[in-house]
This record gives sequence, structure tokens and C-alpha cells, in this order.
Amino acid sequence: MRNPFNILVAGVGGQGNLVCGRVLAEATVLSGLRPVVGDTFGASRRGGSVLTHIRIGKTDWAPLIPKGEVDILLGLEPLEALRAASTYAGARTITIVSQTKIPTVASTGKITMYPSLERIFESLNKLCKQIIVLDAEETLTQIGSMKMLNSFFLGAMGALDESPLSLEVIRESLQSIFGFESVNMTAFNEGIKATRLC
Amino acid sequence: MTHTNHEIIMSGNEAIARGALEAGIGFCASYPGTPSTEIATTLHELAEDYDIYVEWSVNEKVALETAAGASWAGVPAICPMKSLGMNVSSDFLLNLNLSGTGPGGLVIVVCDDPKGHSSSNEQDSRFYAKAAQIPLLEPSTYQEAKDIVPYALNLSQKYQVPVVIRSTTRLSHSRGLVTKGAIPKRNWSAVQLDDGLFNVPTPHLKHRDLLKKMEQIKETFGESLWNTIPTKKDIDVLIISSGISRRYSEEAIHLLEAEKCDILNLVTTYPLPKNIVKAALVRAKRVLFSEEVDPFVEERVRSLAIELNNIPEFHGKRTGAIPAYGEMSTDIMREAIARLKKIKFNKIEQTDSDILIPRLLTFCAGCTHRNFYWAVRKVRKRVKDKLVVAGDIGCYSLGVFYDRAMTTMQAMGSGIGVASGLGQLARFGYEDKVIAVAGDSTFFHACIPGLINAKHKGANLTFVILDNETTAMTGFQTHPGAIHQESNLNRVKIEGIVKAIEPDFFARSDASNIPELVDLLHSTIIKDGLKVLLLDSICRLEVARREPAIEGISFRIDNNLCKGEKCLICVQDFACPAINWDSTMGCPEILEHLCVKCGACVTVCPHDAIKEEKIE
Repeated sequence: MRNPFNILVAGVGGQGNLVCGRVLAEATVLSGLRPVVGDTFGASRRGGSVLTHIRIGKTDWAPLIPKGEVDILLGLEPLEALRAASTYAGARTITIVSQTKIPTVASTGKITMYPSLERIFESLNKLCKQIIVLDAEETLTQIGSMKMLNSFFLGAMGALDESPLSLEVIRESLQSIFGFESVNMTAFNEGIKATRLC
Repeated sequence: MTHTNHEIIMSGNEAIARGALEAGIGFCASYPGTPSTEIATTLHELAEDYDIYVEWSVNEKVALETAAGASWAGVPAICPMKSLGMNVSSDFLLNLNLSGTGPGGLVIVVCDDPKGHSSSNEQDSRFYAKAAQIPLLEPSTYQEAKDIVPYALNLSQKYQVPVVIRSTTRLSHSRGLVTKGAIPKRNWSAVQLDDGLFNVPTPHLKHRDLLKKMEQIKETFGESLWNTIPTKKDIDVLIISSGISRRYSEEAIHLLEAEKCDILNLVTTYPLPKNIVKAALVRAKRVLFSEEVDPFVEERVRSLAIELNNIPEFHGKRTGAIPAYGEMSTDIMREAIARLKKIKFNKIEQTDSDILIPRLLTFCAGCTHRNFYWAVRKVRKRVKDKLVVAGDIGCYSLGVFYDRAMTTMQAMGSGIGVASGLGQLARFGYEDKVIAVAGDSTFFHACIPGLINAKHKGANLTFVILDNETTAMTGFQTHPGAIHQESNLNRVKIEGIVKAIEPDFFARSDASNIPELVDLLHSTIIKDGLKVLLLDSICRLEVARREPAIEGISFRIDNNLCKGEKCLICVQDFACPAINWDSTMGCPEILEHLCVKCGACVTVCPHDAIKEEKIE
């Protein structure tokens, strides 16, 4: 594993960025490594862009990932994935991105057209080493709701060969937050499947 | 806080709260403000377990005064606040420094917000330590954030001065591993106050005594192990860092593999630990400063350096090597070091941003603040744009992003103050109708003097209080008027206070009824004199915390009645996040998972296209 290994979670307030950070930090401790997690949650309650920086290392690193140094980008929302990638992605960034849009609100008196997914993914492809697009909507709606997207993404990330944290430790730390029987565990397992099918 | 065998993951703020317990603090007073809130929240949650007193005071000045009362009576106290809160408390602070803090000890924690992520400015509050001539400590790690609190309290007890601990957003709001210490057995109880806790008639002699204390503290800091000394033998570039900038500096050196670079990290930043700094300066050819936000350490080091024979070359915010505004980052340090050391690295530039449309902050779905600003927009048209809105600090500050709903927005309580001035200007030809807006927590914090001033001087204005009965912006803390009070607290009602001031016109109304709201606002602002509207408002987040979601009804848009692209009022002007423009269908739609079923949009649609429906 690179020291530090850098995971960036990009989403919109309410999508569960903070929980992703919590789970990955715990999983890091369970793996005998040191986590540093930097959140921007000032705007999280008001539907703004939210970023969670997770640094996994042998020692403590700075709370923000330097530009270009992201190893894995978890894009819980397509536009926010692109926004994060355009600042932080680099030559070794692998991006897992959800294809479910969260519309922006036109509060300045004119509608800004949400760009097409094709254009977003095309740009992401240019910025990253690899992108994996996941469609979680059907599966998660069946299980319960899109609120479990963060757990789904944790499973999807853990199933990557490049993941610095094993599926076992991520599962254990997710379970410690939500409990064994939570639908979040089902979402987590579905996320694993989704990556393996790619 | 999550447990492991040895270490615990804590945010900087949680670490400071834990440090307060390990210091043996008995009293905490605070007013919520990002990024400081979680310190007092954490202590609040633990208050019963550890038998400590914790309160959300009405504002930061009152918080500091209550904490000083405790300290004077021998009870160790902590007073956490955000940067702008320090301004509010400063009148008292610049007297307390001279009077002294008594036997209990008083630690002030100030959390600055570089780049203003959640603030209206990005002030560097360290200048208050210099202005008040009191010691300043800047932890640079989560562990230090915890461990520094007992040290700060000891220092305060020993010298009887308030001690400031300063954090910034990225330390307060990031998390890492911290080793816990023991919580001491209580060795104090409240005692009678000493005599002479005032500065008159000889404040200059109190000042003299304070300066003497600071000389002694400077000596202590000069040997302090809190500061990390550079270890490399041969140093070309010495970085002098403080706070979280230490980590950015370390990582920048690592990324660049920069040689002959080392760091002097200062935790005891005021008074400057002269011996340590001098010893490091004589070993370096060049010095680069790494701190947030102002060149505070930089300027003090520069003035110290004139005592040296060979002054090193200085690079920092004063020379433009580091931006003198905004937040620090590894990227800024990497660039600055690379420039000095002439190291080339691959810079990542932002690319392909043409499709990156902004995601602006807005009111939550169903927030009644949107209804109020919608009413302002309607009334503005009715009075032919002769309207000014003096705004204030809270969720409703988002009105600045909502059309032109809010004209000004500065400090807590400044809306009614500014309006009180504007309301006098008719004599000079000012024609606009004057509205001031404030929320309920802000009303208690800083609006009452402004309102009394307006009454006393006969200002012509309308003061609108958006009362959602909680401190919504910072996470639902209790305030005097909050609807949910703990059993030991007494509710103070805004209506009673306002009526006691006897405005020329008072009305209380429901912010969820838009047509009534528009008419009430219009009929009120055209009256003369001091008018106060108290609007019963709803925070949907607070409601969602306590009540189940509304079921059995649904809202939908009738496409036969909707005028689509020709109208766009619901999507573009009212702009509730639960109404989306479906660009493939060319019509608006209500997003079921975001809609809180408030029905506000029904009256907003001029074509009656939005319908409430019963669902089985």
C-alpha cells in the first residue's frame, strides 16, 4: 500500500459522506493503520457539495489530500464526482461513480442545465486512470432507498483489487455502526457484486 | 468518539472537549458557531456523567462573563467560541485580562474559519491575544488539541490570566487518533470572590502587572516542549509553522523530497518563545512561514530578527510567497517550497470545467424562510422596488443567494441596527421601505439593543423575526425562546419581549401561509413607525428529528395546466429543491423523496397546476 493511501468521497449534503468517512476510519484502525479524515460539512445540511478526505497511513497526514494524489475517488453523485476529480484527481486515480443525478436548484433565478452523463463520464475518463460507473438505483430502491448508496459504495470500493482495506474490516466497521441486520449490510453486499460484475 | 484498545478517533473539537475533562474543568459556557460548536456539544453530552455545568449562553460576551464568574469563584472554566464570537466577547475580554481570572482558571477556545466556509469573514482572531496581552496556544495535531487544555488551564491558574487556545476549521473538523489520559479527581469547590476584581482607578498599573506576568510566561514558553525544534544539521529552508499548517508543511516536504528543509513548529505562539526562535533562525539561510490566516507569527519573528547579527531571508505572506488570504494547504506549501528550492513538479491544473455547473446553497425543501423571501419578492414588485432588506446571520442569510431578497448581511444583530439608521433617512430624501430580518436565536443574541434603539428614536422600519424556535444553522441548540427546553431551563418568549418594547404595530403570523404572508408584509411596511412581525416558522430538519414524515398525501403537477417553459415560476423563481425541471419531458416535476408535503408551491403556481392528492 502507498503511504499515505488517499480516498476522496464526493457527494451532496445528505448522501452520507460523513458515515463513509467514519466507516473507513474505523476500518483503517482495525487494519492496524492510522486514519486522518477531513470533512467539509459546513454546507452539508443545505444541499451543497460535500467532500470527505480519507488519509490512510503509517503516520498521521494532513487533513486534505493534495491535488493529483487521490488513489480512489468515490463519486456518490456524477456532477460532484467531476467537481472533485477536476481538482484532486491524478494519474493513479480510480473513480467509482454513481450514475444517479441529484439535480441542482436554480436559486439565482435561472435554470442551469445539468450536463449529460455522457459528457460527465467522458471528462472523468480524461481526468482519471480508470472510471467505474455503477447503477445502484434499481437495486437500492428494491432494498429500501437511495439513502444506502454510501454503504453500497463502500462494498464496491472494498471489492476493488486496489482497496487498501479488506472487505472484512470494512464490513466489520459498517456493522458496528448499523448493526448486523441493517439493510445497509445488504446494500454493502450488493455493492461488492456490482464491482465484481464490472 | 470511537474506542479502540489504546487510541480513539476524535475530531480536533472532540479532542479539545476531552482535554477539558482531563484538565478538570467544571464550567463551560458557549454560544454555537461553526467551526467551534462540537466542543460545547460534546461537553454537554457528558455533563451529567462528569458532574460539570455546561450552558449555551445567549451570546459569546455573556458566555465569557459567566465563565469569568465561575473562574473568580474558583471553578475551572472553559469558553469555546467561533472567530466572530470573539469580537462579541472582546469588550469584556479587554477588561478581564487586567482584572485577572481568579483562582479557578479560564481557558478561551477560539476556532477560526479561514476561507469562511461557514462564516461571513475569515478573520485571524490571534490578534486578540496580542490586543489583550494574554497567552496564545495553537495545537497542531489532534493529540495536542487534547493535551494542550490541561496545560492552558494550569497556566491560567498560575498567572490568573485568561489563556487562549486557537484552532482553525481543518483541525476542528478533521479526525485522527488520540491517546486518552486520566480525568482527575475534583480538588476544588466554589469560594468567595477576592476583592478588587476591577481595574479602576488605575488601569495602567493593572496593565503594568499584566506585562510582568507576560514576561514570565515568555520565559516559560522559551523552554516549552510544546514547540517542535528542527533536527536536521544542515538547513537551507527553515519552515516556521503553527496550527494545522504544520501537517501541510511536512507533507509538502515529503512530496517534493526536498532536501535541507526542516520545520520549527510553534504551539506557544504568543508571547513568542524568543530563545527557541532565535536558536532556529541562526541555523537557517532562508525562512518560510506557514500559518493561517494573517502573517501573525511571521511579523513577530521578523521583529525579533532585528536583534540577530545575520538576518536570514524571509519568505511568507509579507513577501507574497504564500497568499495572505484564504486557507493553507499542502498544495500552497508545495508550490512555495518548490519555488524556493527550484524543484520541478507536475502541477495539476483544473481542466474541463465548462460543464461544472455550480451547486448553490439554498433553503431546505419546505423551509418557511423561502416563503418569507418569496413574499419579499412579491412585495418588492408591489412597491416598485422601493424596498431595502437589512439581513442578519443564520439560515435565513441564504437569502443573499435568493434573488435580491437580502440587501445587507454582516454581523449578529446588525440587521436591526442598520435598519435603525436607514429608518431615519427620510429627512434626507431616502424613499425605500426598510425591512430588517432576524432569526430567533439571533434575536436573543444581539437584536434587543437595536430594537430598543429603533423604538426610542422612532425609526421608521419593519422588523421581521423568523421564529423557528431553534438554533437551526448550527444543529438545533437550545436558546431562551426554543420550543424544546431541558427541564431546568425557563423559556423566554420573544413575543413578550417585543410587546414590552411597545412597537407602533405588532402582528404574529404563520409563515407557512404564503398569500396571507404577502398581504401582511405589504400592509405592514406601508404603515409609519416601528412595526414588528413575528412569523411562526418551521425548520423541516428539526421537525424531521422529532416527528414522522407526512403520509397519505402527495403533490403532483398537472401537465395539462402547467405552462412549462413559458412560465418556470415554480422551478426557477420559487426554487424549492423538491421541484425539478425534467429536461427530457420539458416540464417540472415534484421529487417525491425530497418533498416534505408542505404545500407551499400550490399557491405559488399562477395556473393552479400543482395539486394535492390523497394516496392510498
